[in-house]
Amino acid sequence: MKSMLLSGALLAGAIALGVLTAGGSGGSAASDAERARRAQVGAQDEWESRSVWACDRRKLVVVEGVRPGEKIPPERAQLVADVLMDLMRFCNEEITARISVDQVITVAANGRVFENYVVGGPLPIVNASFGEPTAREQAIWKAELDKVVAEGDRLFHSDELGSNGVACAMCHPNASNTHPESYPKFQTQLKKVALLRDMVNWCIQNPLEGKALAVDDPRIEALEAYILSQRKGKALEAGKH
Amino acid sequence: MYRNDMTRKEIERAFAERSREDERLIQSLRNCDRRHFLRTSLKFAGMAAAANLVPFQSFQLVNVANAATSEGGAGDVAFRFAYVSDTHLYARGMTHRFARAAAKAVEDVNALDPQPDFVLFGGDLAQLGRAEELALGQQILKDLKAPVHMMVGEHDWYFDMGEKWKEMFGPDHYSFDHKGVHFVVLNSVVEKDFWTTNGYTPEQRMNIVAGLDDGRQSRFEVGEPQREWLKQDLAKVDKKTPVCVFSHSPLYKYYKPWNFWTDDAEQVQAILKPFQTVTVIHGHTHQLLTNKIGNIQFHGMLSTAWPWPYAPEGLPAYTVQMLRSDPFNQFDGCGDGRFDALSKGRVNTFYNLWTRNPVEITAQQLATNTIPGPGGYKGPSY
Amino acid sequence: MPAFGYFEWSGRRGLAALAVLALSLCAAAQILELRVPPGVLPPEVPADNPPTEAKVALGRKLYFDTRISKDGSVACATCHAPSHAFVDPRGKPTSAGVGGALGTRNAPTVLNAAFLASQFWDGRAPTLEAQAVQPLVNPIEHGFADPAAVVAKLRTLGDYPPLFKAAFGSPEIRMERVGQAIASFERTLLSLDAPIDRFLAGATNAISESAKRGWGLFNSKARCNSCHGRIDVAPLFTDDQFHNIGVGVKKLDFAAVSRKAAAAVGSGASIDRLALTNAEASELGRFLVTREQKDLGAFKTPQLRNVAQTAPYMHDGSEATLADVIAFYDRGGNDNPYLDGGIRPLGLTDQEKADLVALLETFTSSDLARFAELEKSASK
Repeated sequence: MKSMLLSGALLAGAIALGVLTAGGSGGSAASDAERARRAQVGAQDEWESRSVWACDRRKLVVVEGVRPGEKIPPERAQLVADVLMDLMRFCNEEITARISVDQVITVAANGRVFENYVVGGPLPIVNASFGEPTAREQAIWKAELDKVVAEGDRLFHSDELGSNGVACAMCHPNASNTHPESYPKFQTQLKKVALLRDMVNWCIQNPLEGKALAVDDPRIEALEAYILSQRKGKALEAGKH
Repeated sequence: MYRNDMTRKEIERAFAERSREDERLIQSLRNCDRRHFLRTSLKFAGMAAAANLVPFQSFQLVNVANAATSEGGAGDVAFRFAYVSDTHLYARGMTHRFARAAAKAVEDVNALDPQPDFVLFGGDLAQLGRAEELALGQQILKDLKAPVHMMVGEHDWYFDMGEKWKEMFGPDHYSFDHKGVHFVVLNSVVEKDFWTTNGYTPEQRMNIVAGLDDGRQSRFEVGEPQREWLKQDLAKVDKKTPVCVFSHSPLYKYYKPWNFWTDDAEQVQAILKPFQTVTVIHGHTHQLLTNKIGNIQFHGMLSTAWPWPYAPEGLPAYTVQMLRSDPFNQFDGCGDGRFDALSKGRVNTFYNLWTRNPVEITAQQLATNTIPGPGGYKGPSY
Repeated sequence: MPAFGYFEWSGRRGLAALAVLALSLCAAAQILELRVPPGVLPPEVPADNPPTEAKVALGRKLYFDTRISKDGSVACATCHAPSHAFVDPRGKPTSAGVGGALGTRNAPTVLNAAFLASQFWDGRAPTLEAQAVQPLVNPIEHGFADPAAVVAKLRTLGDYPPLFKAAFGSPEIRMERVGQAIASFERTLLSLDAPIDRFLAGATNAISESAKRGWGLFNSKARCNSCHGRIDVAPLFTDDQFHNIGVGVKKLDFAAVSRKAAAAVGSGASIDRLALTNAEASELGRFLVTREQKDLGAFKTPQLRNVAQTAPYMHDGSEATLADVIAFYDRGGNDNPYLDGGIRPLGLTDQEKADLVALLETFTSSDLARFAELEKSASK
């Protein structure tokens, strides 16, 4: 299944590539657009396209207007490198970029073509599981986290986890003194190395006189989310007592 | 012979040099000859006490202030009063841990010999301001042999705006004189109305105020009407008369987000400024807490219910911090205590920490900045 | 020389080993390695008393020698008998010493005591060496008047000087050496192979279903692990700390006595003047050692290995059976002004109590029989 997709992508890429590079070498199979462009540079000049692959063999930059037998001049080579490194942020995508003689960059990916690409600019071609998250995705993720943290906040301050009216916030206002950044560590109360949620459970059972939560209970996840959100920015120091 | 800056080794060396007999006793204790164990160890303790070496919070041997000085000496105590504070009772019967703890404090005070002249209740008798909680508290405190002066806390007030409290215990601010000291009891947990515009029910209002870290409530203050009353009350008091103020909030600014704070602290302190000797005794903070501002010495009381951690900032430098408490032990970091009122008007504070060694902070130490601290422990525990 | 096949020879301990080797050419002077299961921290050994076979042999002989008592009736083994998991075979709450004199405390087991951070119920001896010599001069245990009397007695027993020479390089008999020899012997009394260990290592059939439930309770509802938790690298089931659970408070007016003692310390007065009786003072526990208010009525958390074999229980032997012990904790101990704030009633069902007893029985070492032979070989 995976290989089928891959070859499909390759095919699409190849077709796109073909479209872009069809008129690349020599003059005989050039399209009208290509000829017009060449005319701008200097029709008498012989030139060719040079292909530069990135190390992952998935990012390709085709440079137009290179004199045959010569290296790509330094400024253009730097642009090639910049484009390649920039495209590398789309980790698993097969992308081809074409740099024209006048440094206009066209990018082809997933069978679509994007004109006038700028290095470092957005390229909304990628699937959510790779590369940069979109603004909408980030908003969704934050809203979800805020919801869980708010639930944790509520539980942390409520008396429903225990049986005696003691709340976590009574010894830990604003989650102070919880030190989540010091876990995992040997927890003397548990006589073994513990994680934050193990200690949360211990506290629920002991000072709160309640019943322990299952380690995958959404409530304990919410409590951890709240505690960690209150301690943002603290350096990790596992094992610190 | 012993200085505050001595290391434990230095003190032990100096102590050993004291006399040959003492040396032998120390040696025999180290070898712990079982048969003579009781005798030698008791003698050693007596020696240690006689030499003013008293274990302090079990961290290091420290020289307690010399008893012969003019202020703070043991012979200088004019009278004693005890306190029980911040019981935070739920009305769930006497087996509930908070009720047991409150009863434990009452037992401690009743076991004091000699009995204190009176007992101060430091506020937050109830947890959620309910009549049943206040009634339970009244029932527990009734067992105290000495007379009790009551002070209100925010947990007592914000369910019904103090109606039940006033009905059961009288006015929320008043004053009285005792053996030459003028005592003032304030309601220092007044909050600007945050509930009406938001449409909170009494229950919601109480729950919000009950959350130490709940920022929806206002900051504590004494407020103008009470400051006026205080001015009037103190107008009749001679400037040389020692003044002792009982307040739930600290009457200074320690940490705003947790209402370890009195908004009009400066104004209240200004009213107190003309007096030679002023002591403020406050609750709410549930920790060892000491401060000094100008002519005023501030002492925080322990809670019987649970300890608060030290705030991330604002801790007065004079405070000897208690180490963070053990959550397994419901009494750790909690307790009760007493104050020894000295003839010059200051107080020595005696913290009776349950499960830990007691801590005494004398007025002399506070006045001369010589409060001994626990060895090596600096800064908040979190 | 009897070699139980239990010790490993090791001559690789640096200067100490070299020094000992230099002093004595006898193979018996080589330092013994105390064998423990992998992953377990070995017992701490004082730098000035590394164990050698000669020391162990001397200590073993001393341990079983009833001549080292005022009336010739008491040896260490009398109250710490190898045939009975190293506790008192007479099974009374407290032990009887010379002349049948009864003490106030229950004799704890010597087995695995080498791992503990302190000795005695009030922890007043920091090492086995310090502990071993105290009963010798206790009037109700071995009954000698003082260390000099012990040494004098040993000098009259002709078989000891050569053993001292082999162990310490010279035949001089000193109290310190007596303690060191006995401690060296006691350090070989280790046993960490019980069904519970095998169960926790993965052998799911090593203990019964009831005991497995008991283990779950031990670590949750019954709250035993708070003080008797099992640490992998130190599986003694003790936190090496001192807690007041109210065991002996009903025998006297503990509240009054303890408050008086606290007030005495607080005011700097001498506790001597309180004129406490032996029994009253004994119940103050760790306080007598540290003089700290928080230690009033506090006693050491004992280790639980072989607990099913070491009845009766608690520092005064007041709980006769394991079921009684569980019932004691289920009640929440005995309330008193200094009760540890972590103690509370547990609300255990009968089944749960039985499960806990079943669990405790799995703490018994599987190789106790080999210690019973010690007694026979020592009398040679």
